[in-house]
Amino acid sequence: MEFVARLVGFGHALRDEGLPVGSDDVVTFCSAVSELTPSDLEDVYWSGRTTLVHRRDHLPLYDEVFRRYFLGHQAPAKPEPSESEPIAQGQSGTLNVPHSEPGTQTGDDRPMVLGRQASGVDIQRDKRFAECTPGELAALRRIMAQVRLEPPRRRTRRRRRDPSGARLDIRRMARDAMRLSHAAPVLHRVTRAERARPLVLILDISGSMADYSRNLLQFAYSMRRAAQRVEVFCFGTRLTRITPALDRRNPDDAMKLAAGRVLDWDGGTRIGVSLDTFIRRWGRKGLSRGATVVICSDGLDRGEPAALADAMERLGRLCHRTIWMNPLAGDDVETLPNTLGMMAAGPFIDSLESGHDLASLERFAGKLPHVG
Amino acid sequence: MSDQPRNETPASVADLQAQLRSAGYLASRGLATATLIGMRLGRPILLEGEVGVGKTEMAKCLAQIGGRELIRLQCYEGIDTYQALYEWDYARQMLHVRALSESELTDAAAVSGLYGPEFLIERPLLSAIKAGSSAVLLIDEVDRADDEFEAFLLELLSDFQITIPEIGTVTAASRPMVVLTSNRTRELHDALKRRCLYHWIGYPSFEEEIEIVRLRAPDAVATLAHKVVAAVQRLRDMDLAKPPGIAETLDWVDALGVLGTDDLDAAAAADTIGAVIKDRDDLELVEAELDRVVADA
Repeated sequence: MEFVARLVGFGHALRDEGLPVGSDDVVTFCSAVSELTPSDLEDVYWSGRTTLVHRRDHLPLYDEVFRRYFLGHQAPAKPEPSESEPIAQGQSGTLNVPHSEPGTQTGDDRPMVLGRQASGVDIQRDKRFAECTPGELAALRRIMAQVRLEPPRRRTRRRRRDPSGARLDIRRMARDAMRLSHAAPVLHRVTRAERARPLVLILDISGSMADYSRNLLQFAYSMRRAAQRVEVFCFGTRLTRITPALDRRNPDDAMKLAAGRVLDWDGGTRIGVSLDTFIRRWGRKGLSRGATVVICSDGLDRGEPAALADAMERLGRLCHRTIWMNPLAGDDVETLPNTLGMMAAGPFIDSLESGHDLASLERFAGKLPHVG
Repeated sequence: MSDQPRNETPASVADLQAQLRSAGYLASRGLATATLIGMRLGRPILLEGEVGVGKTEMAKCLAQIGGRELIRLQCYEGIDTYQALYEWDYARQMLHVRALSESELTDAAAVSGLYGPEFLIERPLLSAIKAGSSAVLLIDEVDRADDEFEAFLLELLSDFQITIPEIGTVTAASRPMVVLTSNRTRELHDALKRRCLYHWIGYPSFEEEIEIVRLRAPDAVATLAHKVVAAVQRLRDMDLAKPPGIAETLDWVDALGVLGTDDLDAAAAADTIGAVIKDRDDLELVEAELDRVVADA
């Protein structure tokens, strides 16, 4: 009995460290150990690992807690996350997204209220984000949160009923014929069903994009809320996946959490390297397969243009369509903006969008369902 | 249904390891423990890991050692219940109706006979439920299926019963052993994971991999096996998009065997590198360093 208490205690210890260990998991763990040799610590270790852990990322933490709980090892002082690059002076790792617009650093640190106070602002849909006052931006974001976004769609192998479909639904007709054997046969038709294409948004949040990145993040948040298969990444000098952070119900919470994950907010830009990371870590595994990939960046790249061209070419092979959203393009999206990065990436872009003001984002949202 | 899985279940982890080994599978302590617990508690096992580390093979060997039937459901995007569960054979039903009406047999029994088992096409999940503990159900690459299908699996894996409106509810007399595999192309729902025992299969260590090669390719020369495994382990340390799995190691040994070479030098490696590296970018990277890769340890 005492042994069971010890095992349950282990479950609690894991839970204290933040592992999602449910009571049912603990029950399974105890019955698993009782099926094996409870006196063998190795059996205890492996039974716990298979019953209490449900994802690979949790394995190191499990090992650590196991060592501490059963072997009495002291936990080492928590090291800083190794991959985090040093944060530049004057920048905070947990920047408050909605409130840290450029242009508000004029000694006015009073937190801005997004509620009624901002609602009086007149909204100009075609005013560049860069030229908007913080109040206007807040209002714009609230509008954006309500825009009905629809992801691009693709045809599937499945079929659905459609009176004007091209194919006959032989199966249904056979079924009907059996059921109502003497009635005149009715022709049923089917057409290909459609489903949402995965959408991958890769947002440039480097310094040069500061005027736009927060709005794009809001756009990504709205997109994520509207559709199931949306993945969002941010990059400056390195790539961060922020999809889980955007799953909060409250947009401000979601944005704060997302900003907390991103360490190089408003830093430099290495587009090529970041895209390469995306391809290696996610793209190859199939995340972007059949997806529409939208890269939001001004193309001001500090890295090698060749690396960017290389990454873009590979990305093009791994996804269905590549869209580049460049706020510098303005309303004239026919001509490529004249930056080195854009020239390198140009040949591999399927379509160029601007996204510098609300109207252009709305235009883009309207086009999106049809790009697939 | 004379099988009594409880009696078949190996007595200990070591016992299971030995049995798997005799079937040609080298299971680590962790994998064997997870499997044994799964067998004893009647829980599905979810195996995750890189491509080619033997997730599917594990299910096959499990079926083999228990003398069970392997029922495999390969998941893909868009898979639906008709392909996973059952389907009525409409064509045969139509023919049957025609035959019935010609001989003017239209009583109730003849009609209900239309929905008899002979017109039911069993798909893997229904077969597995019917077979019960005499089967190993392998649900392969479940990450490729849609979310909806995952939710459906969840229901099935908790009750092991299926309701067919025309026939009634089919319940598994005893639970089949279920193995799910995932390549982590996307994260599975937590609800499904909670139903399962989880095990991550990593790449084997040098010694383990030598053992595997000796088990699976007993004809290979020992020095060659050593060299190939060392080279593959070095390849895995390189920054490759698709690091080679155990399957690739075995392929490489086989490929060299076909050529009749007993030694892995740069020339032989260059000829057979296609067995291990299957990506153009990786190929460029590896070819530049081929000498280092095949060098003696």
